[in-house]
Amino acid sequence: MATVTVRTLPWYAAPRVAHAMRRVRRWPLVPLVILTFLLVIPALLAPQVAPHDPLKGSLSKRLKAPAWLEGGSIEYPLGTDKMGRDLLSRMIYGARVSLAVSAVAIFVGGAIGTTLGLMSGYFGGRIDGLIMRLVDISLSLPTILLALVLVAAVGPSFWTVITVLVVLLWARYARLVRGETLSIKERDFIARARVAGASHTRIMTKYLFPNVVNSLIVLATLQVGYVILLESALSFLGAGLPRPTPAWGLMVADGRELIVSAWWVSMFPGLAIMLTVLALNLLGDWLRDRLDPKLRNV
Amino acid sequence: MQRYIARRFLQSLLAIWVMSLVVFTLARFSGNPLDVMLPLEATAEDYDRVSKHWGLDKPLYTQYGIFLTRALQGDFGMSWKWPGRSAMDLVWERLPATLQLAGFALLVSVVIALPIGVLSAVKKGTPWDTAAKIIALMGQSLPGFWLGIVLMWIFAVHLGWFPTSGRGGLQYMILPAITLGWFQVAAIMRLVRSSMLEVLDSEFVKLTRIKGLAEWKVVWKHCLRNAAIAPITFFAIIAGVLMTGSVVTESVFSWPGTGLLVIDAVRARDFQVVQAVVIVFAGIFILTNLLVDILYAYLDPRIRLR
Amino acid sequence: MKRKALWLVAVLAVTLATTPVVASAQVPKLVFASAGFEDTNRFWMVARPDHLQYDPFLETLLEVDPKTGEYTPRLAEKWSANKDFTEWTFHLRKGVQFHYGYGPFTAKDVVHSHSLLVKPEAKVTLGPFWRGVEKVEAINDHQVVFRMKRPSTTMTYAASRAGDLRIVSKAQWDKEGEAGFDKRPAGTGSYRYLSRQQGISITFERHDNHWKGEKPAFKQLEFRITREEPTRLAMLLAGEAHIADLPRELQKDALKRGMKIFSSAFPVDWMTVYFGGQYYLPNDKDYKADVPWTKKKVREALNRAVNRKELLNTVFAGKGTPAYVTGWSEKSEGFNPEWAKKFDAMYGYDPAKAKALLKEAGYGPGQLKMKVLAFTEPGESEGPQVAEALGIYYKEVGIEAEIEVLDWAKVRDMFRKKAINCCIWPNIISWRPSEEWVRTCCFSKSPNHHYENEFVDKTYDAWTKAIDPKERQQIAKSLGDHFFEEYADIPLFWFNNEVMANPKVVGEWTYPGLGAGRSTHFHLIKAAGK
Repeated sequence: MATVTVRTLPWYAAPRVAHAMRRVRRWPLVPLVILTFLLVIPALLAPQVAPHDPLKGSLSKRLKAPAWLEGGSIEYPLGTDKMGRDLLSRMIYGARVSLAVSAVAIFVGGAIGTTLGLMSGYFGGRIDGLIMRLVDISLSLPTILLALVLVAAVGPSFWTVITVLVVLLWARYARLVRGETLSIKERDFIARARVAGASHTRIMTKYLFPNVVNSLIVLATLQVGYVILLESALSFLGAGLPRPTPAWGLMVADGRELIVSAWWVSMFPGLAIMLTVLALNLLGDWLRDRLDPKLRNV
Repeated sequence: MQRYIARRFLQSLLAIWVMSLVVFTLARFSGNPLDVMLPLEATAEDYDRVSKHWGLDKPLYTQYGIFLTRALQGDFGMSWKWPGRSAMDLVWERLPATLQLAGFALLVSVVIALPIGVLSAVKKGTPWDTAAKIIALMGQSLPGFWLGIVLMWIFAVHLGWFPTSGRGGLQYMILPAITLGWFQVAAIMRLVRSSMLEVLDSEFVKLTRIKGLAEWKVVWKHCLRNAAIAPITFFAIIAGVLMTGSVVTESVFSWPGTGLLVIDAVRARDFQVVQAVVIVFAGIFILTNLLVDILYAYLDPRIRLR
Repeated sequence: MKRKALWLVAVLAVTLATTPVVASAQVPKLVFASAGFEDTNRFWMVARPDHLQYDPFLETLLEVDPKTGEYTPRLAEKWSANKDFTEWTFHLRKGVQFHYGYGPFTAKDVVHSHSLLVKPEAKVTLGPFWRGVEKVEAINDHQVVFRMKRPSTTMTYAASRAGDLRIVSKAQWDKEGEAGFDKRPAGTGSYRYLSRQQGISITFERHDNHWKGEKPAFKQLEFRITREEPTRLAMLLAGEAHIADLPRELQKDALKRGMKIFSSAFPVDWMTVYFGGQYYLPNDKDYKADVPWTKKKVREALNRAVNRKELLNTVFAGKGTPAYVTGWSEKSEGFNPEWAKKFDAMYGYDPAKAKALLKEAGYGPGQLKMKVLAFTEPGESEGPQVAEALGIYYKEVGIEAEIEVLDWAKVRDMFRKKAINCCIWPNIISWRPSEEWVRTCCFSKSPNHHYENEFVDKTYDAWTKAIDPKERQQIAKSLGDHFFEEYADIPLFWFNNEVMANPKVVGEWTYPGLGAGRSTHFHLIKAAGK
């Protein structure tokens, strides 16, 4: 009797599994995982996840080392800051703050920018000229300087930071949306809608806007990281969020003089910023490649 | 073409004027400079006297009028924090330091980005590509001041390779330049990479390969020459960004440039100097944009004919 | 490729061409990394403590003895006042030469230096005092008389190294004007001015023909302005600076690496938390009765809720001595040693008592809401930390304290305009005679309004008119007692000035700290190993 050697495929090469894995690999896993743990979960579930109150500290417990170093304890896993507040809890709530600041700033800036961009591209002529001039002026404002002066005038607060960010961000959206609008507006389906009697607003919202959404998503994702960095720079210069808000940028700025002895106060929030922004940039890159390669220069 | 240049030039002037208005108003809303300047012992008479001396008792629009007329002649007034120095004087004195740092930072970022970009394009899709992308992206993800302080501690204090702060010879510039320049590496790298990819695929490169040229010669001699055109025009735009990013870097490394000047001036409520710095910065930025636009118009006839 | 290379070469060339040439000669230069000062040669525009930049090369009529703090002769050999202190005569030293050959020091130079202090744009600390001079006259080459509008017992303070009457050369001013003075001011000190880089540094070099024969150990001295604290520490550790102004936070790290602390001989600054809204003069329309701390019980409670020992150890690394009454140190006129004895009983840490007092005043737990304002100044970074600590202490006794970090100018604007009813704020102020302090903070005609009532006004008035030293002590003590009993504010600590220095370079240094500029007497620094 002849023996037949059957070579069986390993389980991961089986067609069904291979197909599934190929689909999963299409997603940018690493950035998504990082973001979930560093940004999304802390931001949404902060009160449940944080071991201590981020605003309450006791001076006797100040500058405790992280748990794995001598002098540290598991009660304060990442150590404490100058005022004896738990670093881990402040970082968790900090995720919430960072996300809130970025979300509000990008939403408001994006909304203003998109509206003006749509109007500019669609109506053309004088409106276009006026809005584009505003865009140029806004893009030429030296942001950090303006932030310094604005905060000196009004004092640091959540809304001051948002204002500065919105002034900075809206112009990019306006330019992007205008460009896209210009290229779409001569197309047939727009002309048909106009002939059918649709109002300008309707055309802009129902026809133009959906085609622009992809690019907006990419831009927004890429900007979250930038906003987080800008907020930390402003906090460093004293023009950011007010104390004692647990904001990552503020924490790095506060701990900077302790970088030798109590390095954890600056290092961990700094790492959080870096990893989060990195993940966001990678995610944005991936989104751009998938949704709209034309956005190479954004 | 002439009309286009004229139009853009007028737009630029308008932008600068709006800038001056914005800064002027904001600065004056930031509070009374006398609260910073005068000692605790100052009496009400002292406040009145100094206020009159600096013209702060006049109404806002009068002050703006005086400011504008003088500014058009290049006179931004006398500094309040540094008595005896004119605001423009101080800006011109510090500007070379900032430009020098920005230039060197640009150089550093090119020196890092170019090889990474080329590598990433040539080895596209491999782990080399991913690694290159990550190195570049890290620069865009680090808070600048944190990077500066960490670099200072590792290289200046522990290893002693560089001085910690101040301005002097080449060695004083390296740490601040890396801090300032790394942010741009990703953008430049991406440009180099995509330009390289386009060129690598083109017909004439295939020809050189058929000719039998060594691969490295193909890459460096032929591709790079053509790929380099796009990034060069990009530099002008980055320059403006680098100048404002320098505020943080100059603060950490005590680099005596305009960034440091403006921080001191804002803290001291020295409006004259703040106005001068902001307008000069904005002016340089706007003019650079103008030059770039004109360059593009020259290269791309479609824009000219609009 | 060529275009790219050309571009790179161009950038490199421009960069290197603009790099300044570093001097090749090596001279032993002592470098002091300072937190910063208003840097200009026009000393009449600069307030204490930024006069530190003039201390090495511009001298004053009287000296502050580094060991005893007494006012001793310097450019003036003898001085006297008339019966009611409205006329002061100074007998000047002979044979003193100005730097750079501008001639001998005479009474004309004193008159000239004073005239600078009363220019319309002048803003020195003792400006109001110097404007109180009716006439200053040079009787002869070595005798000058100040005629004052009011009796002025604090003239010795004002004319000393702790004040701002820096003696400069009239001959130089006549010859070169303000521009020449800006370029290279001539003084009489044992260091002379060499050069300055605006916003960066000021350099002095040893003067070989000092009138007293003082010879500083270091040929050159440089003050470098470095705003960032970790940068100053880095400079000290890397050997780029030999002395540095460091916050207490960083002292541990410097000590670990072998640096030494040089402390001033006397306490220099005090920190107190002030209450806003204390306008107790009758019919003062800015007075609001619903401000919690207008009730004495609340003020006492706010004092008792603070754990001063813990605060000192945590925020100030244990470096400070207790302040009993704001503005009074042991060297001050009218200091009452009883305060030290009574302090624990009246101000000691007792959260239970604080809670009880609050309840008596009508504020149950959670009912008292207030704001703590904080700000930082270069060299004084502990304000926000103290504010946050206060927040934590007050939370424990049931007070909702909100912390707001503003900048100093804003806070000052608020209390000048009497618009600070809402808040309390910590502040660090440097030593001055207690009479000056009361005039600045509590006399109703001064712009600061920290605590005003009829008793203070009346007593201050009597104090300025009193001449007999015993009577003055009596009056001063009664005012201090009043502040003590009334819990006028929350006095915290006195601090000596501390700088860190490299013991391999700096051997010995005694300085009083009471000079105009917290670190002074640089000529007394002895090199290590000598």
